[in-house]
Amino acid sequence: MSFEEQVDELERTVMSEKPFFSRPGGKIFIIWLILSVIGVLIGFYAPHHLLPAMMSSTGTDVFKTVVVFTVLAAPVAAFVYAVGIYSLIAWRHKGDQDEPPEDGPPMHGNGPMTVVWLVVSSLLVVVLLVWGLSVYMAQQVSHPNTLQIDVTGRQWLWTFKYPGTGVESRTLVLPLDRAVEFNVTSVDVTHGFWPVALGNQVDANPGEVTVIQTTPDKLGKFSVRCSQLCGLYHAFMYSSGSVVTPTQFSQWLQAQGVPPALADRTARIAR
Amino acid sequence: MYVTTDVAPRLLEDTPLGPEAGGLYRRQNIWTGLGFGVFLGFVAWLISHALLQGSNWGSDMVVTVTMVAWVIGFNIGMGSFNAPIRWALGHDQTHQDELYAAGVGQGRSRYLKFCTDHKVVGTQYLVLVLVLFGVGGTLAMLIRTQLITAHSSFLSPETYNSLVTIHGMCMIIATIIMVSGPFTNFIMPIMIGAKDMAFPRLNAMSFWVVVSAVPCLLATFFLGGVDAGWTTYAPLTVQAPPAMDAFAVTIITFVVSVTVAGVNTIVTIITMRAKGMTMGRLPIFTWGSMIGGGLGLYAMPAFLLVMTLMITDRATGTSFFVAAQGGSGWLYENVFWVMGHPEVYVILLPPVAAMLEVASTFARKPVFGYKVVVASFAAVAGLSIMVWAHHMFTTGWAPDLGGPFMLTTELISIPTGVIFLSIIGTLWKGRIWTRLPMYFVYLFLWNFIIGGVTGIYLSDVPADQYFHGDMFVTAHFHYTLLGGAMIAATAALCYWFPKVSAKMLNERIGKIAFWMIAIGIQITYFGCSGRGSKECPVVWRTTTRSSSMPTRWPPVAPTCSCSDGSCSCTPCSIRGATGSRPRPTRGAPRPWSGRYRPRCHWRTSLWIRW
Amino acid sequence: MVADSNLQVDQTDVGEEPGGDDRARPLGLILTVVIALAATVGIGAFFWSQTYQSPSGTQVAQSAGTAVVNGVTMPHVTLSFQSYPDANGSVNGVAIHPAGNPSWPAFGMTNVFQVPTHALVTVTVSQYDSGGALNNPWFARVRGTVDGVATVDGKVVTAVDPNNVGHTFTVRGTPGTDPGFFLNVPLPSVGGENQTDVGQHHTVVFSFVSGSAGTYAWNCEFPCGTMVAAFGGPMGAYGYMSGFMHVV
Ligand code: HEM
Ligand SMILES: [Cu+2]
Ligand SMILES: [Cu+2]
Ligand SMILES: [Cu+2]
Repeated sequence: MSFEEQVDELERTVMSEKPFFSRPGGKIFIIWLILSVIGVLIGFYAPHHLLPAMMSSTGTDVFKTVVVFTVLAAPVAAFVYAVGIYSLIAWRHKGDQDEPPEDGPPMHGNGPMTVVWLVVSSLLVVVLLVWGLSVYMAQQVSHPNTLQIDVTGRQWLWTFKYPGTGVESRTLVLPLDRAVEFNVTSVDVTHGFWPVALGNQVDANPGEVTVIQTTPDKLGKFSVRCSQLCGLYHAFMYSSGSVVTPTQFSQWLQAQGVPPALADRTARIAR
Repeated sequence: MYVTTDVAPRLLEDTPLGPEAGGLYRRQNIWTGLGFGVFLGFVAWLISHALLQGSNWGSDMVVTVTMVAWVIGFNIGMGSFNAPIRWALGHDQTHQDELYAAGVGQGRSRYLKFCTDHKVVGTQYLVLVLVLFGVGGTLAMLIRTQLITAHSSFLSPETYNSLVTIHGMCMIIATIIMVSGPFTNFIMPIMIGAKDMAFPRLNAMSFWVVVSAVPCLLATFFLGGVDAGWTTYAPLTVQAPPAMDAFAVTIITFVVSVTVAGVNTIVTIITMRAKGMTMGRLPIFTWGSMIGGGLGLYAMPAFLLVMTLMITDRATGTSFFVAAQGGSGWLYENVFWVMGHPEVYVILLPPVAAMLEVASTFARKPVFGYKVVVASFAAVAGLSIMVWAHHMFTTGWAPDLGGPFMLTTELISIPTGVIFLSIIGTLWKGRIWTRLPMYFVYLFLWNFIIGGVTGIYLSDVPADQYFHGDMFVTAHFHYTLLGGAMIAATAALCYWFPKVSAKMLNERIGKIAFWMIAIGIQITYFGCSGRGSKECPVVWRTTTRSSSMPTRWPPVAPTCSCSDGSCSCTPCSIRGATGSRPRPTRGAPRPWSGRYRPRCHWRTSLWIRW
Repeated sequence: MVADSNLQVDQTDVGEEPGGDDRARPLGLILTVVIALAATVGIGAFFWSQTYQSPSGTQVAQSAGTAVVNGVTMPHVTLSFQSYPDANGSVNGVAIHPAGNPSWPAFGMTNVFQVPTHALVTVTVSQYDSGGALNNPWFARVRGTVDGVATVDGKVVTAVDPNNVGHTFTVRGTPGTDPGFFLNVPLPSVGGENQTDVGQHHTVVFSFVSGSAGTYAWNCEFPCGTMVAAFGGPMGAYGYMSGFMHVV
């Protein structure tokens, strides 16, 4: 087939009056639709299984972001896969060893398609960005009555100080529904303070204090890990944490030797 | 008959080599290189040991000096510096010397010598890359073996961490040169109609310099190990054993090689094109090589810089990175990622460009949107130098920059998306011939989509505050680097193998290898990115750069290790596939034929025989 | 023109080739796989042999009958080990780390212990090393032992002077084991920095109740190493100031 004939054929297929779903575009559309639906379903279903049950405001943000981004990405990925799959079904030259007798159409590009592609991906990026920035900015807002906790990383242990009470503990105990601010530092090398199910983390840098905040909103236990390789026993740099009611928090403080009045005041329980 | 350069057949007959041709080159080969390198290293060790013994930073100085002396000695012994030394002494090399250095009339032995022929250099690089993948893959299997059970007592935490570090750096070095070494050298000059690279001697040097870096990297195991992960964050690495000095010398040496090679590539493409090969007609692979090489020129010197500061911190007591004395770990992290992010595109662009050639050849269609693709390569390169702080979202450094870096990082997915458009556009209505290289193109599509999608979660600051430092990041960059870049490079390898060796790959074995690789990657990295009970991810996750932290999901660990093993077998499988009987290419210099390949490099081809 | 001559070269080349076929050479393939496997196993054996040997194997706790703690009857076992200023045996006469760095401080004679689950473990440590100040007085408190106390040279203490600590024996549970388990016993230092009193030691005795089965990690939290924060050298190399406790 000469080039001209091929171009003609191409035109004929594109212009043909065949019903939409029997044309390549239609078939790809069907594959795309199926894959997109699968992707979207994965987006709603998988995060429940891949992420731990989140226990704080920032954790919920992470969860929602994962769902939204998966749902947004699914149609794009599905489109690429759909064309890939269809090309293997419909345009594959049968007979592996013998080369195809003729070449494909001399298609060097397609302006409108490229423009559509660029516009769609730019729009998606704008959506991602707006989503990300608004969540991020909402996280920066400071709350009244924030509980301050000084976190110190060292090789290979976390300790948590509750300023004003003299308590220094290896476990992290947080009262429910109260904004908490972690002031994180390190005495030796860089560590990563990662209270996993709180969905937030920040490095502990020697000589610097870095701050993150979150609001625990579920009772339960979580683990605190180090997310920055810090030497020999990095993997064992592990603490457990728990979110408790304010009363339990006050009782825990008292068990650490804090006078009841001070403990209640720190836990913000009227006595 | 051995053919060495495009003009060599004639030169062979016209200018027979005199007995004095080559001068010193005649006596130099890899053995003199090794011998002189070891000798100089030993002398340097004796002297520095005697002088610095017992001083505060003695052992670091001694290791640094010894390693540097080995690198210099090896290259002197190889002949890397013959020409400049002779030039400095006032008598330049003769034409005969140059011919000798180009390997004329030396048979196979030229592969073990300082040889300026770009095809020899390309082949040497190919072997080196396969060896490095073999080493890195072996280390990966050891990592996996350790992770089979919780608290496995196979390796100590220290050894495990060092293995992770050297696995990472070995693979990074290998992937940076996996296409720019073999194929940019071998194929690119032929593609643009040049007789050789612009600076053949620098070209040969760039190869032997990177060879001399490899023993330094492996020496770290005998110097206490670098248990800090491939990113070697300070100040942990200022605390590490003297192995870290050897590691830093490795990087410095490697950067010298990569920058020299990058300059060479760019100059060759700009100045050595044949008549009629305008910039607008350059095959896409050439663009990928050039933009990747140029990006390397921007990125890699930062690595050299930061490793030099690392050595001075460790060996002379400066404190660039030690907070207690006024330094900052953030300084290290910034300079590292100023290198580190562009570097991933230094790795990615050449293989992707090569893979577009493969797609075009086997779809029997021209590359879709050539100009847009070139523009998006350039855009990726330009943007990639402005995104480094996305690796630092959770370091606490400049939280206010989270937004701007989120913007640049997400912008980069637009030009990255154009690459996908180009691939599917090229497949569109093609006559798709599914030979072995094409299998890898489809695998690339599959993997790289996953790599890109995982990337967008990470580019979102609030989400990254959860994901950073866990197995998800590991899965992300293995999907992009192994599943994307390395698979694209494998497509290129299968595609150009007949060109390089005059042998066809055995497709049956190749396809077995393909399925092992394809499935292995999915099990390993999809699995590890966090399937499992709600608790598993947590345990899994920190295994990423951690000491021998257990997995609590026994059935998966062995599966992962097997499949990981199969991934690391990549080079082995390819090697196995080449074990097939050489198959004549039926007189056609173009084994894949078709109209829309970058034709000229197949047509002007010369089969070299080993 | 160049192209044409090259084409010719190609054809002559191919012409010389014996008619090949597509069959793989199984021998080459098998050899490749075998060599790759052998290399992997060899390298694995190397790392294994080099690094996981605890100095003198595992010390299994000795049975000492039963004990009653807080009204619960449980097995009672004993362990004893030492901490030396150097691994080369100038104090104890036996090199703990013959292949390692002999001038680093080390726990001996072994760093891997084995105790039964939910048992009372009584540990006797002979501390021969000098020392200095902790980087956090928090570690000067005895934590996690029975009643939160230890005896130092026969004297019952709940804490020691944070400015004169030789090493600490700090054990933690991990997610795979008993995450809450934590034990910290400071070991007071002997003499001053210049070690005029080689051979003298403190005897520290303490008891704890072991947790559920698994491997627990222990290490020293006194910065007794080199480089940044004095946590390099012996602190970063497995086996000197670190080890495991298997609870079975
Ligand atoms: C859609 C495009 C991509 C986006 C948005 C993206 C985003 C990111 C982000 C935000 C991180 C930091 C994650 C963290 O440490 O918390 C990261 C890490 C990384 N990415 Fe990507 N990425 C993309 C594509 C790629 C590509 C194409 C490659 C390689 C060819 C790559 C290789 C890596 C590597 C090596 C790391 C470093 C992991 C480490 O910390 O050791 N990424 N990526
Ligand atoms: Cu840490
Ligand atoms: Cu990056
Ligand atoms: Cu110690």
